Amino acid sequence: MSIYTLIPLLPLAASVVLALSGRRLEGKGHRIVVPAIAISFVLSVVALIEVATSGPIEVSLYRLLESGNFVVDVGLFIDPLTVLVLTLVTGVSAVIQVYASRYMIGDARHSRFFAVTALLTSAMSLLVMSRNLLMIYMMWEVMGLCSYLMISHYAARRSAYRAATKVFLVNSIADVGLGFGVILTFQTFGTLDIPQILASVEGADPARITLLSLLLFMGVVGKSAQMPFHVWLPLAMESPTPASALNYAVTIVNAGPFLLVRLSPLLVHSPTAMTVIATVGGATALFGAIVSTTQTDVKRSLAYSTISQIGFTVFLCGVGAFVAAIFHLLAHGLFKAFLFLSAGNVLASTHRFHADSSAGEESGRMRPLIAGTLVLSAIPPLIIFSKPYEQLWLSQGFTQASVAFWVVGLGTVFFTSICVFRAITTLFRHGPPDARGVADGEVRPTLFSPLHVAGVFVAASLALLVLLSVWTWFSGFLSPAVGQAAVTVPVPRSGLSFGFIIPFAVALAGWIFAYTHYRSGKPSLVERAAWARPAYVFFLNKGYFDEIYDVFVVRPTIVLALWLWRSVDTRGIDRRVVAAGAGTESTARWLWRTVDARGLDRLVVAAGTVTVGLARWLFRFLDVGGLDKTGDRLAHGVDTTGHAMQGLEPRTLQQNLLVMIFWLIAALGFFYWIA
Amino acid sequence: MTQVFDNHLLSCMVAIPFVAMPVLALVRGRAWVLRVALGATLLNVGLMARLWAGFDPASTGMQFVERMEWMPTFGIQYAVGVDGISLLMVLLTTLLPPLCVLCSWNSIATNLKAFLMLVLLVEGAMLVVFLAMDLFLFFMLWEVTMIPMYFMIVLWGGPGRVAAGLKFVLYSLTGSLLLLVGILGLHIEGGRSFDMQVLTQSTIPIDSQTWIFVALFLGFAIKLPMLPFHTWLPDAHSEAPTAGSVLLAGVLLKMGGYGFLRLCVPIFPGVAERFSPFILWLSVVAILYGGYMALAQSDLKKLVAYSSVSHMGFVTLGIFVFNSEGIQGAILQMFTHGVTTGALFLVVGQLYDRTHSRAIGDYGGLYQTMPRFVAFLSLFSVASFALPGTGNFIGEFLVLTGVSYVSIVMVVLAMGGIVLAAAYMLWTLQRVALGEPNTEAARHLSDINFKETVALVPLAIMVFVIGLYPRPLLNAMDTTVTELVQRIETRRVASPLVPVVDVERPTAAQR
Repeated sequence: MSIYTLIPLLPLAASVVLALSGRRLEGKGHRIVVPAIAISFVLSVVALIEVATSGPIEVSLYRLLESGNFVVDVGLFIDPLTVLVLTLVTGVSAVIQVYASRYMIGDARHSRFFAVTALLTSAMSLLVMSRNLLMIYMMWEVMGLCSYLMISHYAARRSAYRAATKVFLVNSIADVGLGFGVILTFQTFGTLDIPQILASVEGADPARITLLSLLLFMGVVGKSAQMPFHVWLPLAMESPTPASALNYAVTIVNAGPFLLVRLSPLLVHSPTAMTVIATVGGATALFGAIVSTTQTDVKRSLAYSTISQIGFTVFLCGVGAFVAAIFHLLAHGLFKAFLFLSAGNVLASTHRFHADSSAGEESGRMRPLIAGTLVLSAIPPLIIFSKPYEQLWLSQGFTQASVAFWVVGLGTVFFTSICVFRAITTLFRHGPPDARGVADGEVRPTLFSPLHVAGVFVAASLALLVLLSVWTWFSGFLSPAVGQAAVTVPVPRSGLSFGFIIPFAVALAGWIFAYTHYRSGKPSLVERAAWARPAYVFFLNKGYFDEIYDVFVVRPTIVLALWLWRSVDTRGIDRRVVAAGAGTESTARWLWRTVDARGLDRLVVAAGTVTVGLARWLFRFLDVGGLDKTGDRLAHGVDTTGHAMQGLEPRTLQQNLLVMIFWLIAALGFFYWIA
Repeated sequence: MTQVFDNHLLSCMVAIPFVAMPVLALVRGRAWVLRVALGATLLNVGLMARLWAGFDPASTGMQFVERMEWMPTFGIQYAVGVDGISLLMVLLTTLLPPLCVLCSWNSIATNLKAFLMLVLLVEGAMLVVFLAMDLFLFFMLWEVTMIPMYFMIVLWGGPGRVAAGLKFVLYSLTGSLLLLVGILGLHIEGGRSFDMQVLTQSTIPIDSQTWIFVALFLGFAIKLPMLPFHTWLPDAHSEAPTAGSVLLAGVLLKMGGYGFLRLCVPIFPGVAERFSPFILWLSVVAILYGGYMALAQSDLKKLVAYSSVSHMGFVTLGIFVFNSEGIQGAILQMFTHGVTTGALFLVVGQLYDRTHSRAIGDYGGLYQTMPRFVAFLSLFSVASFALPGTGNFIGEFLVLTGVSYVSIVMVVLAMGGIVLAAAYMLWTLQRVALGEPNTEAARHLSDINFKETVALVPLAIMVFVIGLYPRPLLNAMDTTVTELVQRIETRRVASPLVPVVDVERPTAAQR
């Protein structure tokens, strides 16, 4: 037992306490959760320091499973990769909980919110700390459940609960890939222990490694909302805004890139898988960035921007720049959490979801905020096109790949800066809560002012910039934990290079474009240019992915299920067989009529007449006494039972029996046939 | 007194329900009836704890064996014993009845006493089935389980109870008939013995092996039930009263899987091996087919029933891959399915008690009025589709690992079944618990009371404990399963029926 075990355990304990307390702690959930997560954060920082000074920490806890060859040990593995993501997760989670403790005041399901977010924090920290692929898979699924619970928070809202189910199902389809990948990994390496797997990668069959990588990547595609599974992330915006910030900026979506980087020594052995990852990531980055500029809902726009950024992180993994990917992940996590929380402020104060609705008055604090916008929109290009990135990239050595990198990178930067500008200006154009909210008699708590939030996160971003300036330390710290595709750690040259100026210029261009487009009263591009309209509509409808899935996947499944049940189970196995049963029945009837009634009967009639006569005599003779009533009762009973049985719907007793017999004959025949 | 318990522990466990039945008949008053029944079933739980503590997981073969001559002329004896496989089944059989007794307090309006007597009878009979070491004893009590079940359905069931009860009996009787044929065949060919241990060691002529195997297999397959013998199950489960459904789904179905493990596989490994591709594919089809069926249901209990068809597919899938991951997974799956499906029937029953409607469309928005109920419903729903952290995940994952040695395609298809399970469970949850109430009745339901909560809490705890720390259960059956797998291996090599197929397995060195 190590003290670091407490990092996932404390939030878990807080969550359990809240879940069990029922209504007793209603409205006080944050008092338990915030300290728990804060302590986790402190411990994460302690772990960061320990790892930085004395190397990775391993903690073995207990043996989960032992069955035949299948052995699973639960343990923690804390290396540089783990601590960096862990610090982000617990740190941002702590800030978000503090924010939520005000945001959620008055919510009917206050405790539930904190219980779920604490569980989520716990699951994510355990995921990044686990040394076992099965544990990762388990936590992966638990996070999916948390996501479900968070999205269905406003359970009375139709869009919310439908989204919850849909999100979980989209994820669980992708998770089939991951789960299968886990099983296949065990088949290949005979273990699920990550260090052992990575150690024995060298001798494994390349084709198998490609298959494994692609399967595991399928899980990543689902969890990190890559194309074509990205449809769930915008739906997930139905959750309360602090939860959106936590789930879809720092935890759930980041699990994918984390897994890729964690297994990077495996991935680099398969060029095919790497190409697929880079392609999917790049396509998602561009698509998400473009769509994000067309959405009219602030949170939805942010969701697509997240899709785009995570796509870029995945893209970086695909090109082998794992260190850069993690850096991007950290930067994006902070940046996006800030945007979500700001959006939450505005939404809470105005109850409006549409970014395009009437512009509010510009207040005096607009100017610093716009400056802040510029800084924030400059962060992605700063990170993406910083010298080390570029060198990492170029070290791959393919010219075509380099072109792809520039196209994807610049495109993403351009659209991201538009999106960020738009989001921020729309968010902060509005002053204090407008009269409508107050008129409704709704008492809204004082939220943190946008400047507070901005202050915290700009400071964090600055810290990141500082971190960037100590890039050498960062990459030196992280490199041992990732795959060796990142060949050499380059030393950044001093000063701004050409490779940095271009993306910055592009970001600025996007910013100016957005300024002229959204701020001035001029007709928009869509209204002016004929070509822009179909494209705009296409992206406004998110590439029609939802509709396509609905028509080609969702409805056919349900229709198939209903058809199978109605026609195969009730008609096929029950009724169609009754047809066969009826065949048997008619045979039996024929036998009865021809053979029994005509053939045998007539022969017996003669003897029968005598017998019947005898019987009649016996009947009258014996009938005198008490037998009568008993007989009557018996006969009546038999009659009733018979009627009851005949009345069975939809089949008669005979048919039931015949069906049974038919099946038995069929089964026996089949077994005989294959025997 | 403790001496008697220690020396005749199994017989005491078996005797308690049978003794409690007449005692119950003498008791008057609804409350006292409930107390006596609860006391008897809880006493068995206590004895079970003693059994668990005394059970030595490391030793092979049967433990706590008791033998008595019964009909010496035919070599029939009363012989009970417990090994790793039956231990888990017995645990399940003792754990569920107290909960059934508790839930009957609300759900059974008339003749509670008679109903509880039937519950005790089922418990006792099932205990003997799982403990019997003698085939005759096994068969006799196998038959006995059917009778109280029939009356529970027909007398206390829902609107379609007569048809459902009849269907249940017809299917069960057919299965029993085949089972009887198989058992008699085994008795004649296996050296005129009814002793399972003797039969397991005896050599049966290859010609008759196939027929006996098929007869036994079909008998168990109807009980389990396997596709296409499953149509009795949705009707019986949905029409039965809550306690009946719990016992049916929770324990009775497991007699089929137990039969495979106790008779079909160890005695006829060669034949089982030959049929296994067919059985495995049938199981995969059952998993997907059951899932699709569940997706199409608008009746809560039918939905859970069809999900059982799907989950039982995992059981046969695990058993007939003949490796220890698969078999352990299958046993664990049987256990956890008993817990979660039993719990689901309890939960649905609590809803039924309030509104007398099983239609999904009659509910909605229950989270507002019945938060505690919804919490339990959600918990058991997610457990039912094997969310990691719940016991079902461990079972299904082990089965899938076991199957991956044989066929990778099957693993993928079976995982598709898990996605289907998530789909129908979450969809149901959405329609029942979330949103706005669809009917006026659903708007005014009261949350579950203390008694109802007490019935669910042990199951909820078990779901998590098995999910996070399944080793006690796995340890308990490990030796038995390893022995079984070894026996299959050696028999398979010795049997001329089948060419030995090399299965790719990681070696110990790789591990």
